[in-house]
Amino acid sequence: MIMKKKFAALGIATILAAVSLTGCGSNKNEEASKSPSASPSASTPAATESASAPASESPDNTVKLSGDFEIQYFVGGYGDKWWKKVIADFQAANPDLNVKESGGPKINDQMKPRWIGGNPPDFVYIDGAGLNDRQMVEDGQLEDLTEWLKDAKNVDGELITDILAQPAQQFDGKVYNIPLVLNSWGIFWNKGLFAEKGWAEPTDFQSFLDVSDKIKAAGTTPFIHTGKYPYYINGSILYPAIVSANNNDFTVLQDMAANKEEAFRSPAVLAALNKIVALRDKGFIDKASIQINHTDSQMLFLQNKDAFIPNGLWMPNEMSKDVPEGFNFGFIPSVTQDAGGKVVANTSTATVAIAKNGKNKEAAKAFLQFVFSKAQASQWAELSGAPSNIKGDISSSNAPSFVKDAAKFLTDPNTVVIPTITYNADVDKAMMDATDALTISKITPEEWVERVVAVAKKVAK
Amino acid sequence: MNSGTAKWQRNIFIASFIIPTLIFFCIFTIYPVAQGLYYSFFDWSGMSDTKTFIGFDNFKEMYHDPIVWRAIGNDYFLVAGKVVGIMVLATFFAVALTRFGFKMAGFFRSIFFIPNVISVVVIGVLWNFIYNPQIGFLNAFLSLFTKEQVTITWLGFTDHTIWMLLPPAIWAGIGFYMILLIAAIQSIPASYYEAASIEGANQWTQFHRITIPLVWEQIKVSVLNIMMTTLNGSFVIVWIMTEGGPDNSTQVMGSYLYQMAFRQYHFGYGASIGFVILILSLITTIVLQRLMRHETVEMS
Repeated sequence: MIMKKKFAALGIATILAAVSLTGCGSNKNEEASKSPSASPSASTPAATESASAPASESPDNTVKLSGDFEIQYFVGGYGDKWWKKVIADFQAANPDLNVKESGGPKINDQMKPRWIGGNPPDFVYIDGAGLNDRQMVEDGQLEDLTEWLKDAKNVDGELITDILAQPAQQFDGKVYNIPLVLNSWGIFWNKGLFAEKGWAEPTDFQSFLDVSDKIKAAGTTPFIHTGKYPYYINGSILYPAIVSANNNDFTVLQDMAANKEEAFRSPAVLAALNKIVALRDKGFIDKASIQINHTDSQMLFLQNKDAFIPNGLWMPNEMSKDVPEGFNFGFIPSVTQDAGGKVVANTSTATVAIAKNGKNKEAAKAFLQFVFSKAQASQWAELSGAPSNIKGDISSSNAPSFVKDAAKFLTDPNTVVIPTITYNADVDKAMMDATDALTISKITPEEWVERVVAVAKKVAK
Repeated sequence: MNSGTAKWQRNIFIASFIIPTLIFFCIFTIYPVAQGLYYSFFDWSGMSDTKTFIGFDNFKEMYHDPIVWRAIGNDYFLVAGKVVGIMVLATFFAVALTRFGFKMAGFFRSIFFIPNVISVVVIGVLWNFIYNPQIGFLNAFLSLFTKEQVTITWLGFTDHTIWMLLPPAIWAGIGFYMILLIAAIQSIPASYYEAASIEGANQWTQFHRITIPLVWEQIKVSVLNIMMTTLNGSFVIVWIMTEGGPDNSTQVMGSYLYQMAFRQYHFGYGASIGFVILILSLITTIVLQRLMRHETVEMS
């Protein structure tokens, strides 16, 4: 009995000890995460004039950057070749600065504890799962760049806002991140197959429907999408269709991103949803779509089992190993415009930003000035296989040909280019679920609107 | 004095086993559970360095969230489907492989066990291919019996897609429980069956009068284990195969937790879902234990 009591006491004591130990552990971690490796003095650039320094790349080379400077970059479809190169170049231009790179496919998760702990890296590339610019802005994680960007010049002395192909997204009128990539959603087909079968390449919605009728009659399914990830069909069909139906005015999408109820209730949204219904009711949508992921849908497209696929311009690069011989990608940013109407390009981008709690914001701003230059633009196109968001002729660069084509499309005056828009994550999910439900006749366009409005209202509270 | 030292040494010896385990248990189980409960009282994106205390609001919101109810329904559907499917088949196979003494028993035992050594992720991908409407095995097989090509979208029904997740889940689970029951059946003395045969009992009577009562403890453990692993672990198969779709029709609590915490940036809400999963598991365990309380039959 006594023995039992002793053990019970021992047990309780151990639990208490363990609990207090875990408490200590977490405190220590917090302490550790709060003590930055860079000393405070290092984060303030020494304003020493270096008269002997060559008047080279840095326009404000009066300020010599020093201390630690950390860059977080996600490695995904665009790879890390460009990041390695630009960081090396920046380091060479600023020998006194200790540039630290934290990159990788899982970096967003790995760095999360540091963002939560108030000790983020100085500079962040917002791409990949786990980072969402709108959420980061709402969480107060990003530095307000509104004032700085107004007259910020790049290393070549050009005003950054002047050379951006697409302007930065505004959150309540403020700028926190700048788009680095300029990619586009759109519709792909196989030019080879179309030429062989005598099918006309689509230029507007009517021609898209007409050729789809022919394709269906010939025994091929006209259209496949990625039902498991409905942002492909939303990005390539729904949003451009909304803009076309809204007289090419994309502010309706920006209002949707701001959770304004009247934007979702606009007739343009219903008109666009009815275009999806038209595709559905004519039997153009491959039934397999609803359950498959992007790889499966892309494979079926590459096997010519389906004639059209909504996707992003990165697809040819992504599937390069599986593209059969004679397969020649045809691409148009949108097919939902009326005959003679402008093509609408819904851009897909990845942005860069400075952490609000970063230790070396001067270096981060200098890095922005370094990155947004024409030299880096063509280097980006060449090394990442995607068009950069910097205006400039990349036709002479070594960028892949479809990247050059895309760049041409996106700079054409007859194209309505939708700038980067990030929807609230809850609203975005509601739109994706509702579109899926619409494609399998589970709901009507009106119900789509009601569903999404309900979520937008809740979020706007 | 001597006995005191011996007692002390004994205590030290026992403590040296218990304390490290207890410490690890506290750090890796109790502490995260307590932290999860703590976060469930906050409105927190999971990324921000600030969180807002909102009391029980997350739980109140869950009560009004139709997807939560659907997810709980799907969870219990999978529990019921898996318990029935796995237990019936595992018992059947175990009896077949032990009581009828045919030559290929060892071979079949290995075959049935194979799914257990395959990762659930691989199983999910494999069954995705089986269910693929265009290039999948199932439609190709069915097309053998029809004039036209079968193009059923197995994972794309508007309402009952969750049914399609049962076959892979059952297939993946049978092996382990079959082995557990085989071991139990083999420990039943052959003389019981011999005596029953002499008394004129047929195979079926032997099965439900001898085998079932004597392996009841193992059946009970199996059912509880299937229930717990399903409530806590169906996330993997759901996430690999459907990600909760189409239109949230296959969402389970685990997948909805992930969706809310990491895709929609509601970490506090995700934590409260996690806490509900814990409570549901505990309640179900207690209920099932009571339901399956059975007079223990011991072999003498």
